[in-house]
Amino acid sequence: MAKNQLFYYYQLLLRKCFRSITVLLVLFSVCEINAQTDTNIKGTVISENDGLTLPGVNVIVKGSSRGVITDFNGNYSISASSNDILVFSFVGFKTQEIPVGNRSEIDVNLFDDATSLDDIVVIGYGTQRKSDLTGSISVIDAEEAQKLSNSDVSQLLQGRSAGVTVTSDGEPGAGPNVRIRGIGTFGNNQPLYIVDGVPVGTSIRDFNPNDIKTIQVLKDASAGAIYGSRAANGVVIITTKKGYKNTPLKIEFSGYYGFDEVSKKIPVLDREGYQMISNEKRINAGLPLIDGNDPSSPLFVSDIDTDWQKVGLKSGSRQNENFNFSGGGENVTYNASLDHYRNEGVFEGKGPTYERYSVKLNTVIEKGIFKMSPSLYYTHSFENSLTYRGDVLTGGRPPLINDLVTAIPTMGVYDENNIGGYAGSSSTIHQEIVLNVPGINSLFENTVEVDRTFAIVNPELKLLDVNGHELTYKLNLSYDKTQARDFSFVPQFEMGYFFGSGKSLLDDNSRVYTVSLIENTLNYKKTFGKHDVDVILGQTYQENLAVLRTGHSENLPQPYYPVLSNGENQSAGGLEYKSSLASYFGRINYNFDHRYLLTATVRRDGSSRFAPANRFGTFASGAVGWRISNEEFFNVPEEIINELKLRASYGQLGNQNIGDYLFQSVMNRNILYNFGGDVVTGGLQTSIIDENIKWETSTSINLGLDATLFNKSVDLSLEYYNKETADVLVGVPIPASTGSINTAPTVNAGSLRNSGLDMEIAYHYIRNKDFSFDISANASTLKNEVLALGGNNEPVYGVGSKTQVGSEVGEHFGYVYEGIFQTEEEVNNHAFQNSGTAPGDIIFQDLNNDGTINADDRAFLGSAIPNVTYGLSITSKYKNFDFTIFASGAAGYSINSWLHRTTMATGWFGNAHEDILNRWTPTNTDTNIPRVVAYDPNGNQRDSNRPGWLQKGDYLRLNTVSLGYTIPKETFKVFDSSRIYVTGQNLYTFQKYKSFNPDFTSGVFNPGFDQGSYPKPRTFMLGVQLSF
Amino acid sequence: MKIYNLLIIALSLTLLTGCDDDLVLLNPNSQTAETFWLTQEHAMEGTNAIYNSLLIDGYYMRMTPALTDGRGDDFQGDSPWPDLMQVANFTILPTSGPVQWTWSAYYQAVFRANQVLTHVPDIEMDENLKQRVLGQAYFLRGLAYFNLTTTFQKVPLILTVAQSEEEYYPATATEEAIWAQIISDFKNAQSLLPVDYNSVSGPDQGQVGRATKGAATGFLGKSYLYTGKDWGLAATEFQKLIEGPEVNIYNLTSNYRDNFSPFVENNSESLFEVQFATPDQVGGTVKNYGGEPSSSWMQVSSIGHTYAQDGYGYSDFLPTRWIYDEFKLEKTVSGGIDPRLLSTIASYEPTENSTTVYGGTPWPHAQDAIYPRKYTHDGFGLTSESQGSVELSDINYRLMRYADVLLMYAESLNEQGQTEEAYSYIQLVRDRANLPDLATVRPGMSQEQMRDQIAHERVLELSVESIRIHDIIRWGWLYDSEKLAELKQHDSDFNYWVAGKEYLPIPQSELDVNPNLEPNSAN
Repeated sequence: MAKNQLFYYYQLLLRKCFRSITVLLVLFSVCEINAQTDTNIKGTVISENDGLTLPGVNVIVKGSSRGVITDFNGNYSISASSNDILVFSFVGFKTQEIPVGNRSEIDVNLFDDATSLDDIVVIGYGTQRKSDLTGSISVIDAEEAQKLSNSDVSQLLQGRSAGVTVTSDGEPGAGPNVRIRGIGTFGNNQPLYIVDGVPVGTSIRDFNPNDIKTIQVLKDASAGAIYGSRAANGVVIITTKKGYKNTPLKIEFSGYYGFDEVSKKIPVLDREGYQMISNEKRINAGLPLIDGNDPSSPLFVSDIDTDWQKVGLKSGSRQNENFNFSGGGENVTYNASLDHYRNEGVFEGKGPTYERYSVKLNTVIEKGIFKMSPSLYYTHSFENSLTYRGDVLTGGRPPLINDLVTAIPTMGVYDENNIGGYAGSSSTIHQEIVLNVPGINSLFENTVEVDRTFAIVNPELKLLDVNGHELTYKLNLSYDKTQARDFSFVPQFEMGYFFGSGKSLLDDNSRVYTVSLIENTLNYKKTFGKHDVDVILGQTYQENLAVLRTGHSENLPQPYYPVLSNGENQSAGGLEYKSSLASYFGRINYNFDHRYLLTATVRRDGSSRFAPANRFGTFASGAVGWRISNEEFFNVPEEIINELKLRASYGQLGNQNIGDYLFQSVMNRNILYNFGGDVVTGGLQTSIIDENIKWETSTSINLGLDATLFNKSVDLSLEYYNKETADVLVGVPIPASTGSINTAPTVNAGSLRNSGLDMEIAYHYIRNKDFSFDISANASTLKNEVLALGGNNEPVYGVGSKTQVGSEVGEHFGYVYEGIFQTEEEVNNHAFQNSGTAPGDIIFQDLNNDGTINADDRAFLGSAIPNVTYGLSITSKYKNFDFTIFASGAAGYSINSWLHRTTMATGWFGNAHEDILNRWTPTNTDTNIPRVVAYDPNGNQRDSNRPGWLQKGDYLRLNTVSLGYTIPKETFKVFDSSRIYVTGQNLYTFQKYKSFNPDFTSGVFNPGFDQGSYPKPRTFMLGVQLSF
Repeated sequence: MKIYNLLIIALSLTLLTGCDDDLVLLNPNSQTAETFWLTQEHAMEGTNAIYNSLLIDGYYMRMTPALTDGRGDDFQGDSPWPDLMQVANFTILPTSGPVQWTWSAYYQAVFRANQVLTHVPDIEMDENLKQRVLGQAYFLRGLAYFNLTTTFQKVPLILTVAQSEEEYYPATATEEAIWAQIISDFKNAQSLLPVDYNSVSGPDQGQVGRATKGAATGFLGKSYLYTGKDWGLAATEFQKLIEGPEVNIYNLTSNYRDNFSPFVENNSESLFEVQFATPDQVGGTVKNYGGEPSSSWMQVSSIGHTYAQDGYGYSDFLPTRWIYDEFKLEKTVSGGIDPRLLSTIASYEPTENSTTVYGGTPWPHAQDAIYPRKYTHDGFGLTSESQGSVELSDINYRLMRYADVLLMYAESLNEQGQTEEAYSYIQLVRDRANLPDLATVRPGMSQEQMRDQIAHERVLELSVESIRIHDIIRWGWLYDSEKLAELKQHDSDFNYWVAGKEYLPIPQSELDVNPNLEPNSAN
């Protein structure tokens, strides 16, 4: 079906976008002039170390893009003329160049070499040698990263590359937040993902990490420029596994099974502690005790003492099985994979769980001047998500983990008198709003089912290949369809006086996303003398369509058959969104004698998301590099410096990562009212928009130094970057007095600067084939500054945060703690705080000395963005054992934890952290924790820097410790290789932070606000890798 | 070969052209602004949409009654929700969500009314219908500013649709300017609106619940009363409602509780009410708390569940013991308890045959416990509040009753020194409660005594109807030490009151984003 649609789509685009199809025919006819004067060269590549043949070695005709890869037995075959030079390169080996001369058979021995400057790096619409790069590109060690259990491709990036931060919580299937070089924009900060040359439309989550061969991260403007508009947040280029030519079928299996456990428990009070604190709150406020906590009341609770974290959390599990089949003949290679991943979360009840099945088929078809690498990917995933219904659990509940930790111990878990069987709080006994988390997580059903088909067809023709001229035309077509079903069922239930539903509710919604792409590129290459030129010209058109449908039905009869037709009050809804992007681009890569490198790129984008006057943006960039070590005057001995390169880039990128149609004022004509029961419909404008939104532009400078030192045992890369983003597209709060429902319309607001240093260093130690190790470390600093905020430069407030010109994004903001009032006299002598203020309450500083504590007494309280993030990885091998440690961390920021503040709330509902036992009382005055008093008349709970309210976020996490053993070949003759391993993941985190994850995901304007992230579990896994 | 190269490049350039037309994509989901405000239907839709803003949480669905009643001396907080408690005891912080919701709701109504008042005059349509459409917009805008100034005292005055971003940041207006605008809006409404919709012809024919000339007259009079100096002007307006011309169509219902019943809505006593209904009556699957309105909105009130007693609702507020005692001060002519007690308060009163709650369940609380009953379903024969779900009340919210008009008329007479004339209008209200003739039991009161009498009559008649705190404020009781001491006696929440805190604070989020806005005395 997909192929039919693809074909249809291609036809459509041909009609739409091409002046004349005859152009193609002309191009085909041109092909015939290609004169082939080359002869066929073959041979075998062998490792000098152990004498084994090497499959997968790149064999390239120097100065051309013509190349092949050795097959499973190390054999290759390539056409070349007698003047050509063959270049043999392979990861971990020194590259060799061998002139062809008159030979037709060339066998080669390659020598070990840990450095990889001659690796081919994918740069977007082409490849380049790593040594020739001018932009800022990080290559992620995908193989190493795959040693972790990851549900999401983006998790592979965590801690692997300087300047790339990945924050995520531990919820199965949750999408991480990836930021490349800081908060570049206020809006969508996620990078652009390119899979096998195609921008991925929706979530990268659907892709299977095991299929990945290489990952490259493009960080600066020059590197990303070819992707123009969408590269402003960086680009992650993913290449999936391919087969090798002339190789018999190779079958590989890898799998693991592991357990997840929440290793951290928040120490909260037991029944007696809770009742004592609750009573003290009431007494201090002059209120009668709550019956359930009052020993003199007949309703006093003495026989229930629920440990909610114990009841609500359990051991989770994760497992993965992957089969990979690869091989190839002379003209066709293939790589097929089957994968299953399952992660069961740590919450008692139905979710969260995430399960994914995927199938991928990559083939490369090649003959003469024709080449194509079609690819087909299909995935099905199923998620029981924790997201629950705000319409039933009213009051804007925070993430469930908060409700679990703060649930009161005097409430039981089950109550058979309630419909549904779970207990809830009572207004007479508890007088608290308490949600029974295992209860609702068992009763509610929330599932997301996703089917995605991702197909690529990309024929290319080598139109010219004569006298060093090479011209290739490539057509790239892709079709990416995602169908999601969001299902939610709430049975009729009772759960105390706040939560319940008198009737069952069913929502069965669907989302269909279609992303279609057509691209034409022409690539011209020429090598003459010491000059290498590589030019690419291209045109691309992409269309995104989203169709959203909702179906609702309620009051289904019991026993439940939860399909829409079985309920009453059935209703349906639907919306459609479409956007398109049309672009032209060109790039020149030029190098002279491998000493002077130059890249220049220009791209013009047109986006449907802006009004016609603002529709187009043109973005250009340039970069230069200088390989000093290739200069004749460079005489530093090999023992000290092997390679030294300086590079610099400057360029502009655009961003249009916003919703569709935001520049159009629309009327809402679904506004209801009734006159005496007769329903009427109203319509007018309900929200304000900005019609003048235009491209956001980021301008960045990148200066880099790459070096290989000490007999190639050390690789070093240092970069300075400075990125200024102007006309940032973001929803900026406007006064509610405008009457607009959307009080944060998207506008071009101000500009931002991110600057810092990215450092990567690696040390390779190889004693012999029995013992080796690699250490690599990366670190990155980030300085963020807001340069302008648009309009009148009014500051933007987030949760306990403020963003203003000259500050960082979302710095913590609030009142300044000065201590605790000890006497009534101190209260009276201090500036007025509130009428209920009493001894034991917090003294806030009267910053403007006006005798009143109000909003004008707030101040900046510290950075919410880490100024350093880092990663450290050690891999080593001893005989058959291999060992890996991977750790990462961040420093220099503080966190406002919703969970901690709630458990330390002296004013209202919920159970408390044990620290509250040290609260101020007339007899315990030497403390920084205020008195407990119901309803917090002094506002002790407000945003401030009182101790504990802003916690240091600095952490170092031991992400992976893994030990593997490669079973000697003789043991199981049936396998070509077999390895078993044990891995511990998230083993320990060094942190002072008192809630769960210091690397939570957050909103843009309050990066330091942790509203309660799902605890990242500790995982132990046992795995096996086999191939035969 | 070079020629071929050039040829290929030339051809390629031809190839690389022309997808720009595909960038023109219009929103397929909604009509754009350019094509609206052209027809009579659009004018009607615009007006209907203003009414919709009355249905949201910040307005009459919940927070306007809750935050207003909570501050009175007849009502006290009993909620685990801190904001409700802090509003009740005057310690609410400007960061409160519910306070922000009310602010937003009032200005949503203003924005919508301004759109109608801006665009409808240019529409070619039936002239009479146009007048009614505009009249309703004036009325609903006046009502929004009435709520804004009585709640927040000083607010920006926005009367046009913002044309550019600069207009998003209005300055705080003076109280005088706001009151002048309210009076002007109600005057315009009064002159444009019909007495009722039965005698009009057009798409609105027969629709009950639309703003009428009577409603505008009542609110115009009330506005004069609140400004505290135009007693004569106030009296003139109230007099029209009592004696005519035209708008003297109102009567007290014989049963006091009919005014809070879901079964006798839009009755003869009601000048204006907000129309709530259950999903069974008008459909809807999504609660109408707020946000972008959609066709799946319900049109329910959550006041019932918020006020209802333990076991039947949230019991977020309780009547004060003082108001309970106040009802018992005076017996009916037949020696019983004022019937308004058991319409206002759920209480165990065996002598009045009140020993059950809801569908006959024996009194489940302590015998001395009292709970709110007004605006709940207790006593209407139903077995639960919101029929098994939560926050699904269909009881229309009455904004002004004829009883209030009579008492306000009496007050404006008394303030003009016509104390003797005030008796008969008060007695109309007392008669329904079966209370003895005031002229007999308290003849010859001085103006001062009559003032206190009217205050007493008002709180018994109008308790828990979002009125009491406004009366306390406009009578200046908080700044009269004797009266303040009484208030503290009535409701201990007043012990926390300090000068200026009788208003709700201007939301901090609003001050944060609008540099031209001034904080008020409660910030």
